[in-house]
Amino acid sequence: MVFIGNFALALALLLAVYATGASVIGARRKLPALVESAAHAMWATAGMVAVAAAVLWSALLHNDFTVAYVAQHSSTTLPTFYKVTAFWGGQEGSLLFWTLLLTVFGAIVAWQNRRADPVLTPYVFMCLSLVSIFFLGMLNFVTSPFARTVPPPSEGRDLNPLLQNYWMAIHPPSLYTGYVSATVPFAFAVAALITCRLDDAWIRRTRRWALFSWFFLTLGNMFGARWAYEVLGWGGYWAWDPVENAAFMPWLAMTAYLHSVMIQERKDMLKVWNMALIGLAFALTLFGTFITRSGVISSVHSFTQSGLGPYFVSFLCAVVGLYTALVLYRLPQLRSEAELESMLSREAAFLFNNLVLVGIAFAVFWGTIFPILSEAVRGVKITVGPPFFNRVNAPLALALLFLMGVGPLIAWRRATWRNLTQSFSAPAALGIAAGVAALAAGIGQWYVLATISLAVFVVATIGAEFGRGMRARQRTLSESAPQALISLVAKNNRRYGGYIVHLGVVMAFVGIVASSFFKVEVKRSVKDGQSFSVGGYELVYRGISVKDTTHVEEVDAVVEVRKGGRTIALLKPARLFYKREQQPATKVALRQTPLADLYVVFAGLDEKTGMATFQAFLTPMVFWLWAGGLVMALGTVVAFWPDVREREAIARALERRTYALDAGRAVEPLGG
Amino acid sequence: MDAIKNTFLLALLCAALFAAVLASAPVQASPPKTSVEDVAQGLTCQCGCGLTVANCNHPNCSFSVPVREQIEQMIAKGFGKRDILAFFRQKYGEKILSAPDPHGFNLLAWLTPFIMLLAGAVALLLALRRWSRRTPSAPQTTVSPDHYEVRLRKQLESEVQRLL
Repeated sequence: MVFIGNFALALALLLAVYATGASVIGARRKLPALVESAAHAMWATAGMVAVAAAVLWSALLHNDFTVAYVAQHSSTTLPTFYKVTAFWGGQEGSLLFWTLLLTVFGAIVAWQNRRADPVLTPYVFMCLSLVSIFFLGMLNFVTSPFARTVPPPSEGRDLNPLLQNYWMAIHPPSLYTGYVSATVPFAFAVAALITCRLDDAWIRRTRRWALFSWFFLTLGNMFGARWAYEVLGWGGYWAWDPVENAAFMPWLAMTAYLHSVMIQERKDMLKVWNMALIGLAFALTLFGTFITRSGVISSVHSFTQSGLGPYFVSFLCAVVGLYTALVLYRLPQLRSEAELESMLSREAAFLFNNLVLVGIAFAVFWGTIFPILSEAVRGVKITVGPPFFNRVNAPLALALLFLMGVGPLIAWRRATWRNLTQSFSAPAALGIAAGVAALAAGIGQWYVLATISLAVFVVATIGAEFGRGMRARQRTLSESAPQALISLVAKNNRRYGGYIVHLGVVMAFVGIVASSFFKVEVKRSVKDGQSFSVGGYELVYRGISVKDTTHVEEVDAVVEVRKGGRTIALLKPARLFYKREQQPATKVALRQTPLADLYVVFAGLDEKTGMATFQAFLTPMVFWLWAGGLVMALGTVVAFWPDVREREAIARALERRTYALDAGRAVEPLGG
Repeated sequence: MDAIKNTFLLALLCAALFAAVLASAPVQASPPKTSVEDVAQGLTCQCGCGLTVANCNHPNCSFSVPVREQIEQMIAKGFGKRDILAFFRQKYGEKILSAPDPHGFNLLAWLTPFIMLLAGAVALLLALRRWSRRTPSAPQTTVSPDHYEVRLRKQLESEVQRLL
């Protein structure tokens, strides 16, 4: 079996090399059959990587400890579900998983574009195949998932206990999908630069891929936060750890890109900026992988540290260097006669939104790499942790929230005072009123007050937009309110999908601020029958129960939750002991409501005194963070939905280009 | 009128950015009341959890638990946050602080994001001014046509046509 895996990976590498060569030669010598064969090679590459993946999964499921990866990341007692997820629980497996996604996405792109644009497409194939070559090269020559152990152990070392959680089953695949799918718009950008097809056709053709990537980056970040919340047991969900930052930065860059491409589509400006943003998003995905794998920055999430850092950093430098050179080479053609009627316009609001998003991405990047810089310059190790990131990003986040309210209602081209007062008077008044009400209610922190005001302001602007469209439909077509809402969203899905995403962002933001500012923490040691209070809850310790399996020993503490004199829940926080790894872990007990989460950790049991120690947190409104994530995902699905107008726009863009080519205004492809 | 609006907007943006920098300044003029939680957030746990002493997820951690106790004792003796952080810094080195001390080289950590942001804002404002100069001004009295309004109206008209 292992032989098949190795053979499949070697063949996949050869096929990727062929696809690269065939697409370039096919494009330059105008041989469509050769380009078509490159597409076929991409499908075959994906097939071969899928075979290799199947071999590794099979080895994991059959406890084949002759494979070093299986011996290191699985065991006979590991539940089957986690044997499946162990595929991405270690270095080699996660690289293979990455490559599987990359080649499958490449195959889909090859299928989608097999008859499209014979000039641009071959270079898209070339770029995707080149990236695949790097990853396949790593798997074949540097870190093989099929390396043998001689002699094979009778038992494996098991999967890291922290990874034995269902969120870990879906967090890495979501994040990887988001990371890897960013390669597609990047490949189109490279192809557009090489062929000098710099209009908005490549953006329109990759809009769904960009949204797809953003969707999974959003989910990946959310699932990762949820994993940290449930598994790490400190009552929080985000610690500004380098690996968390590495997942957050591409999300920021992609968010900026999704906004700025709207301006290029509409006004044919910001071409250089959009090229820079998609290049940045892709480079940040590589940077994230580098951070996760290099061990150069210590992280709580680096489960796969290895010596791959130099390879990744070399690839990253090569990508950034070549891409920058390409953009600079095409700079004269990328420059457009940008026009802007007024700084008070939606275009300007979008540009400031881009500035803030990129500003946050830079601040996160800077904070992440500063410890390396400090050590290199001063030879002193320092830590850049939550206080830095919170202080630097907090005002920027508020600015972003404000712009999110302004963007949807301010007019394109030029907003007049009349437009501004008409659109913003009511939302601004509501926002201020909410802030004043919160102040009157005793909230004293300026940041919380600003968040409340801005959140209400943004929700009011979104509500106004929905209301405007619905009223028009109700008046003209006599539709009921729900009918008008559904038709409005269905017929303008891109616009209203975006508003739904904004609503999700506001919900998440409110959840983050409330849970950060008003968290209550209590640590107590109690005997059976004794109680302690957290917030308005009384927690009564009711003894322990033990569950023992061959894999893990679980000691549950039974905690009765009482409020107003009556029992409202029975929680069972637990201490786990993973026998194979000889490692303890915590299982958090949660009582979640939209108002507050009661989060209980069973810290330990003193067997001599019978005292059980608990750490309990009452975290207000953290529910809204997760709900906001779901709403963001829902909004992305709405915006993603097929749109006839968009297909027409792509056709028009291609038509314009044909006209431009006919008129002899085209620039020759690079080196052509 | 346009020039007044643009100047007003520029001033507003600069004020907002300045306020943001002030609000997020690492050194507070009047230190807040010292609490164990607050001080513990300023220290990084050395047990390998990668979290702050306040957030360490090992309930019986051999580092964060005694450090928290020590912080409590120092607060009881009247030490302020700055003194306590300085004490731990001297004992364990700079790496124990969860955010760089805003002095010397470390000032770069705090200032660079805002300098870059301000540079970006200035570049963007200059670009916007250049682009807006290029564009002939539309008559002020007319509200610019909102593309979406037009589209919405057309959409409704076509639906009405279909119903008739």
